[in-house]
Amino acid sequence: MLNRNKSDRALPTFITLLVVGVLFMTFDVRLEGGGVVGVLRTGTQAVVAPLQRVSAFIVNPVAELVDSLSNIASLREENVMISAELAEAQASLVSVQDQLARLELLEQLYGLEVTEENLGRTVANVIGQPDAADAALIIDRGTRDGVNKGQPVIDTNGYVVGTIGSASLSSATVIPITADRQAVTVLVRSQVGTLNSQILTDDMRLEMQLEVFDARDPVLAGDRVVTSAVSTSYPAGLPVGVVLEDVNPQGGSLTATVSPFVQPDQLRLVVVLAWPPDPISAVIGELIPEVTTTTTQPVTTTIVEAP
Amino acid sequence: MSLRVLILVAVAIVLAVLLQTTLFARLQFITPDLVMLVVIMLAMTRIRPEIILGLAFLSGLIVDLLGSSLLGLRAIVFTSVAYVAIRTRKSAEVGRLATALWVGGLSLMGIVLLLLIGTIFGQTTLLGEGTLRLILLVPLANLVIAAVVAPLFARLIDHDATEYRYS
Repeated sequence: MLNRNKSDRALPTFITLLVVGVLFMTFDVRLEGGGVVGVLRTGTQAVVAPLQRVSAFIVNPVAELVDSLSNIASLREENVMISAELAEAQASLVSVQDQLARLELLEQLYGLEVTEENLGRTVANVIGQPDAADAALIIDRGTRDGVNKGQPVIDTNGYVVGTIGSASLSSATVIPITADRQAVTVLVRSQVGTLNSQILTDDMRLEMQLEVFDARDPVLAGDRVVTSAVSTSYPAGLPVGVVLEDVNPQGGSLTATVSPFVQPDQLRLVVVLAWPPDPISAVIGELIPEVTTTTTQPVTTTIVEAP
Repeated sequence: MSLRVLILVAVAIVLAVLLQTTLFARLQFITPDLVMLVVIMLAMTRIRPEIILGLAFLSGLIVDLLGSSLLGLRAIVFTSVAYVAIRTRKSAEVGRLATALWVGGLSLMGIVLLLLIGTIFGQTTLLGEGTLRLILLVPLANLVIAAVVAPLFARLIDHDATEYRYS
């Protein structure tokens, strides 16, 4: 029989810690993740991130091996499917290239200029996840790489992943849209709506709920859902997901199910967008005439001052 | 608690956090909650109950700080699990299978508690697609790991080779 120190102080300690825990939760809710709680998070992440990097470096080959072994049965089937998809994609690519060429020609004819917003992009590795019950992703880029709280995150295909929840010097936490308590403002068939976090489905699929409060037209299965210009969290036009079923407006509003393009738990690489663009630079850019530097190969450099 | 025990426990918690957030974040079907497992296994040792509760709270707080969920959520859950574990630890002394089942049961309690409190505080992350998988797989994984590791862990922390020999 084991001899252990029995103490009656366990219950008062337990109750005290529960009260402290509830206080922490209340503070977090009230401060909305900022203030002291934000500083605590950033501090802890700054301490743990280097260890996580080392750990990820060591365990990643093991994880990949186990992943490969567990997926080996379905790989052949998946290969056939991917081959078919590749053939389709190649056919689409040829068609798109043709359309692009025509577009370019038309732009030249009409003297149009494309005003493309150049956003800063920081590519980051996903080094971990807090635990099985938390969908957040830990990435290996932080404030010293220009990653800051609130910035939008996309995957390598340009699909929306989520936003930066908190950032320390060398790491950051990404909150995927499927786990975010805040809805994403989206556009579908020229109608602005909100996309809420994933809903629990009978067959456990990853789905989100689209709500359009001023619906004029129905949404159809296959309609693409993109971020809206109204959104304060994402630049406009980023693809988010696809509508799963036809839904007609009822009483001026509609609710539809959307399948997001991104599966956050399968991401290994993400891109953090420096958005919104720095307002100070934008103002300075408007006040001071822009100086464009054009480099011509091999060594000639011409400096052209814009009007 | 001696310095040796303190260091061992700190190493165990840090290792659990690191493996949890890196290795087991990558694996789809092996999803233990290592930090919760360490907290439960601490209840099998001779460390004073109030210190175990404090360690459980601190471990939960660390996981909360690394993630996106409410600060204090896991701290409360891990403390509750540790308290129940301290009160029921006699069940773990029967045999290896009993230890594993005891850990599995406590892990299940922890996960359900996490989902319940999370839902009350509006943590939609906890109502996602993986809820059922979470309820089933986490306790199962903890149960399997505990069957192998728990007696060794208790022996190592208490520095007593005769502990949990199940004769």
